[in-house]
Amino acid sequence: MLKAQPVVAAPDGQVGLSGCFAADLMSDVLAFAREGSLLITGLATDQAIRTAAIKHLVAVVVIEGKPVHSDLVETAREEGVPVYQTPLSKYEACGLLMQAGLRPYRKGA
Amino acid sequence: MDTRRLAHHEFPILGRAYFLGGRASTSIKQVLREAGVDDAAIRRVAVACYEAEMNVVLHARSGYMALDIYSDRIVVSVLDKGPGIENVDLAMTPGWSSATDEARALGFGAGMGLPNIRDQADQMEIQTAKGEGVRLYLTFKREVNGDGAPATGDGGTSG
Repeated sequence: MLKAQPVVAAPDGQVGLSGCFAADLMSDVLAFAREGSLLITGLATDQAIRTAAIKHLVAVVVIEGKPVHSDLVETAREEGVPVYQTPLSKYEACGLLMQAGLRPYRKGA
Repeated sequence: MDTRRLAHHEFPILGRAYFLGGRASTSIKQVLREAGVDDAAIRRVAVACYEAEMNVVLHARSGYMALDIYSDRIVVSVLDKGPGIENVDLAMTPGWSSATDEARALGFGAGMGLPNIRDQADQMEIQTAKGEGVRLYLTFKREVNGDGAPATGDGGTSG
């Protein structure tokens, strides 16, 4: 749906999602995202993975086909966080997932 | 109140070492898990530590986080050698930031660090002055079972 390519695939090729959160600011993720959600972000650095791991998010989708640094890949493997890359914009990716029924997943939602 | 200290660990933090930012917090999370601390407390400590660690990475020359696990609480002390905070009230205001473009490129520096830390911790104390670094002390209560002992954990000391 997102034309996403796995950068670091989930061990069994499947990711169980219960919701979605999108942000480029990791402080927003730390403050508002809920455990079990997918993270859609324009941040293609280590910090996106560490933030996802600390908040127990299930996977990270990097938007706009941004190149993913090898450090990110290494951290994602260490932390066991699957990472995908999509050529879509954040707005498009979020819109499609929302249409497909994936619910916003943040504090209070 | 049972106040036994069960473990003490220290984790160094290198200023401006952006690529290492978050490693100390990841280690702390691991140590807490191995010590049998409840998941809810681990999550709160990990989020606060990560924000605090990134503050050191982004603003200071160096620093370290000390983790003390007690039977009823977790205490994290974050001490850095850096420029200090001139106006703590201002720094506690959501959205206020003195971060650089480099910090923003890492997804931080939105002025939510200290407010996020305050929201996670049960107690927070900052000692700082301009040019004298920052000493941040955080206390997190942990869930204990009926007899006042931690739910699990070996009770040993290390670090």
